[in-house]
Amino acid sequence: MKGPLDRTKVVIRHLPLTISLSMLIEQVDTHFAGRYNWVSFRLGKNSQKHQTYSRAYIDFKRPEDVIEFAEFFDGHVFVNEKGTQFKTIVEYAPSQRVPKQWPKKDGR
Amino acid sequence: PERSARVSKIRPPLHQYIRKLLFSDLDKSSIEHVLRQLRKLPWSECESYLLKCFMKVHKGKYGQIHLIASLTAGLSRYHDEFGVAVVDEVLEEIRVGLELNDYGMQQQRIAHMRFLGELYNYEHIDSSVIFDTLHLIIVFGHGTAEQDVLDPPQDCFRIRMVITLLETCGHYFDRGSSKRKLDRFLIHFQRYILSKDALPLDIEFDLQDLFADLRPKMIRYSSIEEVNSALFELEDHERSFSSDKANSEKQSDMEKHLSSTTS
Repeated sequence: MKGPLDRTKVVIRHLPLTISLSMLIEQVDTHFAGRYNWVSFRLGKNSQKHQTYSRAYIDFKRPEDVIEFAEFFDGHVFVNEKGTQFKTIVEYAPSQRVPKQWPKKDGR
Repeated sequence: PERSARVSKIRPPLHQYIRKLLFSDLDKSSIEHVLRQLRKLPWSECESYLLKCFMKVHKGKYGQIHLIASLTAGLSRYHDEFGVAVVDEVLEEIRVGLELNDYGMQQQRIAHMRFLGELYNYEHIDSSVIFDTLHLIIVFGHGTAEQDVLDPPQDCFRIRMVITLLETCGHYFDRGSSKRKLDRFLIHFQRYILSKDALPLDIEFDLQDLFADLRPKMIRYSSIEEVNSALFELEDHERSFSSDKANSEKQSDMEKHLSSTTS
């Protein structure tokens, strides 16, 4: 089990629906290029009932990078073309699991 | 009237097939077959749709949620990324549920608790995820301006969530550190319960069953004062336990003594 000091996976919540993975990566890479191993992006959706935000998971190489990333990105405000503001939340991902680098090829 | 008939959604054949496998074919006897069929899918095309369907556990039968958990564990052997995504997604659903506290989502939220517990039963997640979730449920939004919306004193839904999760996987926490963690959580949970107004009878009965099932000898405290002193005792015990351990480590030693004399 991972203790609080060696957690490396973060979740970035409350991202705007209009952001794409490449746009996000561009932002992240301004300061953190090469310092993470894995990124996963979930597009939010705009339904009548609930609008959900977009979300991303990043696994950093070192726990210290997480702290620095949170300082840089937590509370970062994105503005979409309509002028709506989105204040991002950066937290440790509640599950710290990340995919193994080399999954078995499914022979089926 | 001029109103046209409701148009049913037309889904691509691949999606229809996935839905047929998961929502109508899947049962105890067909699970091996369903798993094999899912493995044969063109994954690059349909992984995100599959993820979406796996989150619809509330649409199927409650008693079948464990089958979806079993499929998750089975698929993650070959598609680890998918196995990771399912866990992240369920935890996000649980979190969003707490943030919105929407009455209309209750059935879905209960199904997700059950799903999380079953993922533990199929050894797809470890106990720390379960305990973190349990603690999140009893503290989320507390001490903020939104507390009255997110978790008012007469709202017992979070108690239901905890009961559901522990009914599903609590019996595995019967030894070692996970036993201690559950003991500790249950005392915090008792304090949470006492912070509520009088409980409806159905909830009270389910709680009695849960305690009888998991910790038949545990005292049910009847006042906040009692539970607070039990918690104080527990923390005191843990502190002396951890400072014993720290005695050999020079650095944290001073700190521990300082904190135990000031509190």
